[in-house]
Amino acid sequence: MSEFAVLLRGVYGVWLREIMRATRDRGQLIGGVSRPLIWLLILGVGLNPYFRGEVYGQVNYVIPYTYLQFLFPAVIVLNIMYTSIQFAVSVIWDREFGFLREVLVSPMPRSMILLGKVLGGATVATLHGCLVLLLARFADVTMGVDQIAMAIGLMFMLSFGLTSFGILLAARVRSFEGFGVFSNTLILPLYFTSSSVFPLDPSLSRTQAVTSYPEWLVFLVRANPITYAVDALRGVLINFHQFPPTAGLAVIAGMCVLFFVAALWDFNRS
Amino acid sequence: MTHLISARDLRASYSGKVALDGVSFDIEEGASFALLGPNGAGKTTLINILCTLHRPDSGSVSVAGHDALRYPRRARRNIGVVFQTSSLDDRLTARENLEFHGLVHGLPGRRRETRIRQVLELVGLEEWEDDVVRTFSGGMRRRLEIARALMHEPKILFLDEPTVGLDAQTRQQIWQYLDRLRREWSLTVLTTTHYIEEVEDADVVCIIDHGKIIAQGSPERLKGEYGRRWLQVDTIDAATLEDVQARFPEAQVIGVRSIVVPAESADPEMFRKGTFEGKIMEVRHREPTLESVFLSLTGRELRDRADPGKVANGRGERR
Repeated sequence: MSEFAVLLRGVYGVWLREIMRATRDRGQLIGGVSRPLIWLLILGVGLNPYFRGEVYGQVNYVIPYTYLQFLFPAVIVLNIMYTSIQFAVSVIWDREFGFLREVLVSPMPRSMILLGKVLGGATVATLHGCLVLLLARFADVTMGVDQIAMAIGLMFMLSFGLTSFGILLAARVRSFEGFGVFSNTLILPLYFTSSSVFPLDPSLSRTQAVTSYPEWLVFLVRANPITYAVDALRGVLINFHQFPPTAGLAVIAGMCVLFFVAALWDFNRS
Repeated sequence: MTHLISARDLRASYSGKVALDGVSFDIEEGASFALLGPNGAGKTTLINILCTLHRPDSGSVSVAGHDALRYPRRARRNIGVVFQTSSLDDRLTARENLEFHGLVHGLPGRRRETRIRQVLELVGLEEWEDDVVRTFSGGMRRRLEIARALMHEPKILFLDEPTVGLDAQTRQQIWQYLDRLRREWSLTVLTTTHYIEEVEDADVVCIIDHGKIIAQGSPERLKGEYGRRWLQVDTIDAATLEDVQARFPEAQVIGVRSIVVPAESADPEMFRKGTFEGKIMEVRHREPTLESVFLSLTGRELRDRADPGKVANGRGERR
């Protein structure tokens, strides 16, 4: 029996447990379904008529997409963010209720334990992103198979990076209560400043953008890595980019590597 | 290689507080080794070091011939651990918990299946294999944990306070399983406990206090060597107790109205006449027991005894 098969089996075991737990966690599933419904059907449908690029009758921006289409990829990212960051709760749970020790006394190396865990969390987050994809019809987004495949690829990478980030957070939080605060002061601000609900028009120069939006907001949007993830997903799903297409991919890949390595470093030290 | 476990001069401390202060011992293959000591003596720290969860400040540990500090993964293949507090995933079923353990220990599919059957049968949980652990009683959880620790056929089983928080009947049942295991699978077992009556059947008892081993050997040897014979004197009031204490400097107070006096320095008759006449309820000899060994060695009783009333309201009954 080769060492590699043994390791693979271990990673699979850790991964499988995360999947089984997620399918039994009704609360998380309800959140995963209701969140996109609220955002798309209520906010999206409600704001749809106002999104024509007109300010006081004068057309400033030409945006060839409806607000629902524009919002759709962002809601996918929102669902992934919630699920990935909430995954940290499962990590705290394992630590507080002792299950972590069961894994730590197994012959699995810590890097493989972490890999299995992150893959598990990322799979669940990607599935929650896919729940949003099911609503594509309502948002008037039409996709080919290749677009869906590319979108799922991006979603999985994003989920992997954010799940690692969630684990990194979990290592710094001692209680479940503390984590609730974290998720609300983190997820929503990141989401709102990711150009998710309003566009920074690509045809405007930076100076022009600053005349439409206050400078601090433009700065926040550009500094937020989630902006580039949303943008990449928009590029794939509705063919609308505000930044070069490769920027999104590079930022997401960078997040994966950076956060996973940081989480691993943390885990090896503890 | 006759010693399955060798520990040499282990030292460990937590934020400046010394938990282990130079602990050395050997455990032979097939032996049952009991670590006895009060809460906070360093037992759990020692177990954590042996199962490679905690690195000692200094010293060395070898497990099944592997240097556990240098090659922790090799050592871990040979050990099964039952922790003091549950480490089951209580949202999964019994079978799923075992399946998980099999996977992370790299057991192939068919092997997992046969082992799951075997260990479930061993602890008598076949009927509940598809029930979620959350619905299990404390005793069932402990049995499942023992089953799980044996899934990968370890050479050594570590049990940290395996019977704490369980009722008397379940405690006895757990010890029966462990006995059967040792006989049928010739397993080496290391248990920690602060229930003195649970170590009477062990091959080697190791008494640990304040991070140091103060005595080790078979229960018989310990009793012969350290077990002083004592006279237990039950007085009618606290004042008499103080009088007895004043008279015998070596006496140890063991209860509100109970005191023990070294048998060689006193004669039971002394308490029936003279100053103490009428103030003593009862005087009796105490044969050397492990309890008295502990008393002689540490100067105090191991208070927390396994009386059912005290532990019945323990943990693990969450539903």
